[in-house]
Amino acid sequence: MARLIEKQILTGILIGVLAICVVCLSPVTKVEAAKKTFSKVAVIAPEEGNDYGWNQEGVEATKKIAEWLGASIEVADGAGYGDVAPIFRDLASGGAEWIVAWASGYGTVAPQLAQQMGVPVLVIGAFEQGLVPGFSTDIETRAQEGAFLAGSLAAKMSKSKTVGICMSADDENWIKMAGGFAAGAKYAKPDIKILMAQIGQAGYADAAGGKRVTRNLISAGADIIFGMGDGSTFGMIQAVETASGANKVWFIDVIGDKTSLDKKDIYLSSVKWDYTPMFKTVIKEYQEGNYGKQIHYINLKNEGIKLLKTKHIPAAVWSSVQQVRNDVITGKVTVPELSKKKDVQALIK
Amino acid sequence: MSDFLTASFLSALIFGGILTGMPLLFASIGETISQRSGVLGMGIEGIMLAGAYFGFAITLYSGHFWLGLVSSIGAGMLMALIVVLFCVRLGMDQIVVGIGVLIFGEGVTSVLQRAQFGTTYPRLEELASVKIPGLSSIPVLGSSVFTQPWIVYIGFALVGVLYWILNFTNVGLNIRAAGEKPEALDASGTSVIFTRGMAVLVAGGLAGLGGGYMSIVGAGIFVPFMTKGIGFIAIVIAMLARGKAVWVITGSFLFGISVSLTTSLQLVGVEIAQDLVNMIPFIAVLAALIIFARGNYLPAALCLPYNREAR
Repeated sequence: MARLIEKQILTGILIGVLAICVVCLSPVTKVEAAKKTFSKVAVIAPEEGNDYGWNQEGVEATKKIAEWLGASIEVADGAGYGDVAPIFRDLASGGAEWIVAWASGYGTVAPQLAQQMGVPVLVIGAFEQGLVPGFSTDIETRAQEGAFLAGSLAAKMSKSKTVGICMSADDENWIKMAGGFAAGAKYAKPDIKILMAQIGQAGYADAAGGKRVTRNLISAGADIIFGMGDGSTFGMIQAVETASGANKVWFIDVIGDKTSLDKKDIYLSSVKWDYTPMFKTVIKEYQEGNYGKQIHYINLKNEGIKLLKTKHIPAAVWSSVQQVRNDVITGKVTVPELSKKKDVQALIK
Repeated sequence: MSDFLTASFLSALIFGGILTGMPLLFASIGETISQRSGVLGMGIEGIMLAGAYFGFAITLYSGHFWLGLVSSIGAGMLMALIVVLFCVRLGMDQIVVGIGVLIFGEGVTSVLQRAQFGTTYPRLEELASVKIPGLSSIPVLGSSVFTQPWIVYIGFALVGVLYWILNFTNVGLNIRAAGEKPEALDASGTSVIFTRGMAVLVAGGLAGLGGGYMSIVGAGIFVPFMTKGIGFIAIVIAMLARGKAVWVITGSFLFGISVSLTTSLQLVGVEIAQDLVNMIPFIAVLAALIIFARGNYLPAALCLPYNREAR
């Protein structure tokens, strides 16, 4: 009898602990409140919104828009790459009037849910599939333009004449940027050797994998690492920080700015993305009744894509990179848009 | 391709294999002990994450790697205590409790990381390597296998210890009896609950150490969900190796080397679809263990709770 009671009590405790875990894992977090066009907006991001990368960019851009609109915001980060329909429905039924679906994997289901729930959505990486007039619109990047500048910078800074590209996942944006980086490096120095490796199919958060792959790139001679990841980026940075060899190894990041985390002076630059201006554009389109009629792009020209200037870049090198930037904007230099990895590999050879 | 087949490149390949295989080895050894005693450690991934988080945090604050690794073991054992309580003591479903432990580990470490390091992302220094005199000068192997942090050598030694304990000691006999015929162990006067409980605690400690290795040595940082399914690979290796220490180490390092090989193949420009390259580690481990370890068997009482009154 005593055993039975003990069992029941402990079962209750287990259920309670699990319930607490579920609450802790729940990705919905309230941040602030106000009112205007949309009185409440929301963002669904696949991983934690504090990664100084893709997820943080989506969350921060939505926060800025909420502030601009005077709206409240719900952040559903850490939602994963699987089925986000339950989270979407929760947000919509919780009063969200505009939802940012911040992963290319959400591009199929989010426009359908937008129509079902009557809540407009912004998707990423869905192209025409993401356009449903009045309900769903799509923003894409010309990130390869920024990566072209990064490649140009890397080629000019490399002492070993070998640069490395580390991709965390089979991600179209990563592939396009890898292509842009390779093209930029070859534009600056045609004889530069370019190495490229991918951590895994979806190794966005694989920090140990990031360190392992970066280490291999460095051991193969690369002294500039162009790293594309989320959590895995920190593993790449750790490998660069602890590299020992004849040449100093530098790291070039993407999307965010981790300068504040650079304790070992290895953070050379970053291809920064800023979606905020384009978010404002699509909201204006919604107000004007033009929502979901065209795909928008962030690029060098509209300053949605920028190359970060740090103290480690010599003035002469920065100046020449800026010249390349102007040439890209004016169309004097054409940056290839390679969305298939085999095309990037062919360019590298 | 020959440009890449240099000593330093091959050394990096093996080094990468050890870096990936070592946490798997610790977890697989622990899982083997647990399974031999009749308890399936489904929550090992959550236990590894707890070990990874606490090992990293303690190393960061104390500045001592060994203290961090000991904390990893402690965190793993604490998590394993849940399994001991609910599965071993109360005979609840091992899979259900294991999933609970997994979710708990993922949730708690994710929340703690966000609260503590979510804006600073601190990183650790590289753990110093120990050169084995004489052996460290062997080309390729010297700089990859025999120039490693001391924790790696402990990992190798643990395989021998596992083999010895399971096959040549009374403790090993008791563990195997608890998994094969617990009523016989009970009849001999040895507590099945105690034997299984200790086995699960040791397994938890080793899984925690595997997680600690990942964050302290492998990555130098903790990020949420960083184990990326290694715990489940450990369960598979332990099940397919079925108590044979040599297959545990083979499976672990075959996986590690295969993962490292995926990078090498990309760097030498081998044109295989990326999806296929990513499958190599899993196919290699499954094929090797199914082909060569098929004569082994799982414990008869695996996953079955022991209830003395039901004898």
